[in-house]
Amino acid sequence: MLNDIHKFYDRLEVLKGISLDVTKGELVTFVGPSGCGKTTLLRVIGGFTPFDSGEVILDGQRIDHLPPNLRDTRICFQNYALFPHMTVAENISYGLKIKKWKKNKIQERVEELLRLVKLEGLGGRMIDKLSGGQQQRVAVARALSLEPKVLLLDEPLSNLDANLRLTMRGEIRKLQERLKITTIFVTHDQFEAMSISDRIVVMKEGVIQQIGSPIEIYERPENEFIASFVGYVNFLDGVVERVDLRPDMATVSTPVGEINFVPERNFNVGDKVKLVIRPETINMSRSEPANGDNILQGEVEIGMYVGSLAKYTVQVKGERMIIDQTNPRETGIFKENEKIYLTIPKNIHVLRKN
Amino acid sequence: MAKAEILSIPQRNLWEKIKTFINAELIHILAAILFLLLAIFLLYPILAVLIKSIKSPDGLTLSYYAKFFVKGYYFQSLLNTLMLGFINTVVCLTVGFCMAYLTTRGPLSLRKPLKFIAMMPLIAPPYLFAISLIILFGRNGILTMALGLKWSIYGFSGVVIAQTLAFIPLAYLMIENTLMSLNPNLEESAYDLGASETRIIRTITIPLLAPGILKAGLLVFVMTIAEFGNAAILGGRTPFLAPDTYQMIIGEADFEMGSVLSVILIIPCIIIFFLHSYLLTGKKFTTIGGKPVASEPRKMTPLVKIPFLIISCLAGLVILISFGVVFISSFTRLLGVKNEIVFSHILNFDSNRAIYNSIQVSLIAAFIGAIIGTLLAYVIVRGKFFGRTFIEMVSLSGFALPGTVIGIGYLLAFNTPPIKLTGGIMILALNCVFRFLAVGVEAGISKLHQINIEIEEASADLGANFMTTFYKIVLPIMFPAFIAGFIYTFMTAIVSLSAVVFLVSPGFELAAVKIFDAAAYGEIGIASATTMKLVVIVIFCMVILNYITKKTGFDVSQKKRSVTV
Repeated sequence: MLNDIHKFYDRLEVLKGISLDVTKGELVTFVGPSGCGKTTLLRVIGGFTPFDSGEVILDGQRIDHLPPNLRDTRICFQNYALFPHMTVAENISYGLKIKKWKKNKIQERVEELLRLVKLEGLGGRMIDKLSGGQQQRVAVARALSLEPKVLLLDEPLSNLDANLRLTMRGEIRKLQERLKITTIFVTHDQFEAMSISDRIVVMKEGVIQQIGSPIEIYERPENEFIASFVGYVNFLDGVVERVDLRPDMATVSTPVGEINFVPERNFNVGDKVKLVIRPETINMSRSEPANGDNILQGEVEIGMYVGSLAKYTVQVKGERMIIDQTNPRETGIFKENEKIYLTIPKNIHVLRKN
Repeated sequence: MAKAEILSIPQRNLWEKIKTFINAELIHILAAILFLLLAIFLLYPILAVLIKSIKSPDGLTLSYYAKFFVKGYYFQSLLNTLMLGFINTVVCLTVGFCMAYLTTRGPLSLRKPLKFIAMMPLIAPPYLFAISLIILFGRNGILTMALGLKWSIYGFSGVVIAQTLAFIPLAYLMIENTLMSLNPNLEESAYDLGASETRIIRTITIPLLAPGILKAGLLVFVMTIAEFGNAAILGGRTPFLAPDTYQMIIGEADFEMGSVLSVILIIPCIIIFFLHSYLLTGKKFTTIGGKPVASEPRKMTPLVKIPFLIISCLAGLVILISFGVVFISSFTRLLGVKNEIVFSHILNFDSNRAIYNSIQVSLIAAFIGAIIGTLLAYVIVRGKFFGRTFIEMVSLSGFALPGTVIGIGYLLAFNTPPIKLTGGIMILALNCVFRFLAVGVEAGISKLHQINIEIEEASADLGANFMTTFYKIVLPIMFPAFIAGFIYTFMTAIVSLSAVVFLVSPGFELAAVKIFDAAAYGEIGIASATTMKLVVIVIFCMVILNYITKKTGFDVSQKKRSVTV
């Protein structure tokens, strides 16, 4: 759908060759730190930002020469951009009136859309008499009014408070699945991206870092940036010592000792690698576990009890590791300076260093 | 718990007590003094005009007002003035909107030059346009002769054109400001939903900008009806209130009728002043939040672009030509008649003498004005006493009052003891101080709003008394506002005409009055040369202001006001 998009602001290249294919009915999220180009890319798709080279294709037809109003894409801005001098119904019907719909048809459609976003009976309200969540729904309803092929959502939840954000996240996803509408969702919140998307596009400095399902992005990040962008991660540098084929197993020597892992792809002896170990995958115990792979000894430096989990910083031979115990009631609470054993899982993700 | 003893402030001698009292009450003492000054130099003169208009030798009377409404000439003058205000406002808003739309939404290459031209009249006294129109369309005007025009610039249409050109920047600046604060996403949303550009302007942009446009309109209206110079120079036989007042007082020495005309002129100004402040506080559409997103240049449809461009370019062209001909005329014996280069206008002794006098008066006014303005701003922002808003209103009102009215007020109020000032230089300076106080006060207020009161509290907490805090903390922080107030008052005072025209004494002429007289007697060369000198002085002041803004980061330019004359 997008083909090699380049965009310059003066001499600053903000989109450095973006290519991306979105399948019909899919919800794709653009995520990345601020300034990574995600909103610019969305505006390129919507037709608001001219770009310097590349193609935007929708259903096999190039649309990049078309102004926003002639594209079958509708955008929903971060600040909703609702017309403050109009009522909810007038906002929603704005596009329908321009398309010269009949009065009774407009009314029907507005009722239908209000039902869809659960705002029945609020059609006559002025915009400033609505809560933030309601305004958000109106914005979505307005964008959906002309039955676009693609819905573009620019950080739609960032102006809502935390609890509302969770609810709206679910509702947007449900709505999207029900209407089977292709949706592009921009956010800087990686967890929002993980929880709502079919696929995630991680961007940094105008370049796509990785495209993949939430699980792929989290468990098999393609580089250090992605790994640390989605959740906390322990990195361990090492060198591959041994590669066995049967059973499929490799061994890495690291500052904390030798670690065995099941390789996801081919490694050679001598490869420099980086182990990506998520804090919640490490197991902690007071006594030495019976079966003996990847067991390290360490000392608790800081312990923090957060309720649903306990977070520990553990010193292992001069390396500091973060460990989450997800069921602290089961494992018990470890004290500071306590000597403990760590078990690193064998199915860890390993990056090859260049 | 043991009963705690009340810690008493140690007894001190009488002097110490007085000092403590002064320190504690200083802000109130200051407020009282400032209010007294405002009462004497702003309220009392206005009151004097009001009294004069209803007082006859045998007590109170409304007979002068009766005469006003009976005698067709006076009433016509009121109608003309209101008509002028109305037409001017509509034209200025239209041109201002077109220019502002292009400079905020149009092609990038166009934005800077167009904005520059739209603001150009700010550096000139408004009556520059009267002079340029005389040069072009006067009886011996270049275009009159070249094209054999029968149309006379002296009259209603001439005044409308000159006034429009003079007040374009005011309308432009205010509309540009509201256009900039309008979230571009709103227009983009409408675009996204299929609206054409004309439809967006009609259904989104203008409705949302309405409060801002209305405010701009009110200001232009007040400025126009109160403006003296253009109407007096170009009015010809068409009566307008402001120049008629002058004619009454200076020509016929009819102070009663002059006062009546002043009161009539003041009424719409006061109504609009209140309407304006009501609009400021009243409900307006908040363009729903978020960060301001830079408006990208968009493809404008020719349907919008072409008429907007034509209107803007036409206005811009006339502005440029006006400056051009006045400049050339300064170095020409009589432009259009005797086209030879001379320096006699520039070197004219009377003109330079008047410029020197104007600088002197304006410097005094600027100094006093900046001090009073700074103190007033402090009292208004930090004071917590009853009547604070009233003081603020009064100190800002000088701006909304027609200059002719204040001029007459000073003439009436300070002509006799106890305060006899007429004929001196001080009456000119004080008049400027209190008329243009608003600028200094507003600069001070906006600066103070940037300073957290906790800075002063911290100083008090560390043991400083009020005096020390004010002297060591407040004044240094407010210094940029003081300088801004100083330069603005200076700039405004030096070109101002409408009030001082009543107050100058024969031996002590001011530049603005000199220009007025020269234009009236057809000495266009001298009028042009003197005007150009004022333009140079104003440009110089703006450069300094710009430098201060850059140096201190205190944006004084946002308080930009059109020059009140």
